[in-house]
Amino acid sequence: MNEIALELKDVKKTISNKEIIKGLNFQIKPGEVYGFIGPNGAGKTTTIRMMVGLMNLTEGDVKILGKSIQSEYKEAARNIGAIVENPELYSFMTGWQNLMHFARMYEGITKERIREVVSLVGLDNVINDKVKKYSLGMRQRLGVAQAILHKPAVLILDEPTNGLDPAGIREIRDYIRRLAEEDQVAVVISSHLLSEIELMCDRIGIIKHGEIISERYVNEESDQDDAQSDVKVIFDVGQADEAIKVLEDRDIEVKRESDKLVTEINRQEIPNIVQTMVNQNISVFGVTPIKATLEDQFLELTGGNVIE
Amino acid sequence: MSKFLKLLYNELHKLYIRKSTWVMYIILAAIVIGGAVLMTIFDDNTVESEYSENWRAELQAENDEIEQSLQENNNEFMIDMNMSNVEKNNYHLDNDIKPLNYGGWQYTYENAGLSMLIGLFVIIVGAGIVASEFNWGTIKLLLIRPISRSMILFTKFAAVLTFALITLVFLFLLNLAVGGIFFGLEGANPHIVIQKADGFVHASLFGEIMTSYGYDMVNLVMLTALAFMISTIFRNSSLAIGIGIFLLMGGNIVVQALSQYDFSKYILFANTNLKQYETGNVFMEGMTLGFSVTVLIVYFVLFMVLSWAFFTKRDVAGQ
Repeated sequence: MNEIALELKDVKKTISNKEIIKGLNFQIKPGEVYGFIGPNGAGKTTTIRMMVGLMNLTEGDVKILGKSIQSEYKEAARNIGAIVENPELYSFMTGWQNLMHFARMYEGITKERIREVVSLVGLDNVINDKVKKYSLGMRQRLGVAQAILHKPAVLILDEPTNGLDPAGIREIRDYIRRLAEEDQVAVVISSHLLSEIELMCDRIGIIKHGEIISERYVNEESDQDDAQSDVKVIFDVGQADEAIKVLEDRDIEVKRESDKLVTEINRQEIPNIVQTMVNQNISVFGVTPIKATLEDQFLELTGGNVIE
Repeated sequence: MSKFLKLLYNELHKLYIRKSTWVMYIILAAIVIGGAVLMTIFDDNTVESEYSENWRAELQAENDEIEQSLQENNNEFMIDMNMSNVEKNNYHLDNDIKPLNYGGWQYTYENAGLSMLIGLFVIIVGAGIVASEFNWGTIKLLLIRPISRSMILFTKFAAVLTFALITLVFLFLLNLAVGGIFFGLEGANPHIVIQKADGFVHASLFGEIMTSYGYDMVNLVMLTALAFMISTIFRNSSLAIGIGIFLLMGGNIVVQALSQYDFSKYILFANTNLKQYETGNVFMEGMTLGFSVTVLIVYFVLFMVLSWAFFTKRDVAGQ
């Protein structure tokens, strides 16, 4: 197995003298799920279109298993499966006919493989219905099916959970994780649903104005919790005034919101504080550490949903 | 199956699975069957004029009758038409060829002009085959496969030509079948007396039908290439259909209007009708078959290269 499944090297795109993508660099390993998020107009879809060869690169290169999408297009494209924006399939054909259509564009995809994929995405019962009768969720599943037919090494999904019900989102999420873990597929997912991305991805890149402004591993967060940095903790107590005293004795700044006390303390201190409160007969109803969600960070980093 | 055949199959499958394509065949069938019904009801002269063993006397009687009626009527048009009938009958008599009774082959020959209608259908298909993929959004799923864009474009054009060929064969067989059922068949390979540029000839009907289709195919292929190019460049099938049909119907008129200028002989539509070199009724003095074929090839290559350049270089962006 190649060490790097997908590589972007200084990818730039200029459209009518405007630099839309200003030099993207990242590498994705086999089995890794990479989340690609950013506000509308940040260049997510443009980047994805360049990765799959729908758009030309102004500068730089995209490599799939070491093959350039520009100079070795066929070899590179053979290892890509993708949904670009909405999964628009041929509505006048059945799901099965759609899959057969795309299967004919590769070598060696058997009907057994197509049947296998159909049951994987759970479309067995409707595969012989015309796609125009499908709900958005069913189309999304068929979109996933056509993307994985040929067992690609790199799977690129634009908004894969769009239009799915919660059960469907869960299924797709589990399926993507399984593909990554069992088949060592490198997956790139773009999404606006940040909580989704957080659950699905190993690593997340935030893109704004055509640049990656932040990149991090999802499990970095729990590492951070253990570190010495302060976290926001809310104490829900019966006797607020006494509790404030306990905290202030320890030089901790407290903000009071009715019976809830908002503090910023080191995680390690929590047991100690609780013990002190209990010893002083203060009723402690709850202690809640507030993790900064990805969404907060996202909004903080991108400055909201502003297109410039 | 080779890759090309698989892709061609894909394109034809997408084409023939849609009802709008079948409507074209239903229209053709309706016209061919309807025409035969109308002829049976109204055109007794053609259908029922049967020549017996004694056909020489019958032709002579026909000629006498025509000449007699001409002496009473001096309309110039009538004279021309009737005199050519007389000449045709004389040709039969001189060469001892028995006139053919009416049947499916002649019906097919008379309906060869319907290939004009096929031209219309082929323009519609050619205009849609690339533009529709953009309209449906499916172009994105089509162009991320390990197949070069040139190959995809080529198979799409090949699919349009295959459609044209299938439809032409359908028209031929349908005419022959309907004509045969309504009027009987004249035999396996009947010959007929036809007026050509240099007088009457006794020619194979099948050959004549194929020649007629062949000449129309030239026009058809050129218009397809044009519609295909417009569709590929502008990604708009309506525009391509509009321009295609306008030129199919009005191309000759445009060329005629410009015929006083010398450059008009380089216009596509001055050259699409290769029949002009057989009948001798050439659009402009000095034009030859070689000249027209060269002009056609240049146009064809131009259309294809432009389609290819736009299709392979273009960024496929959002709608």
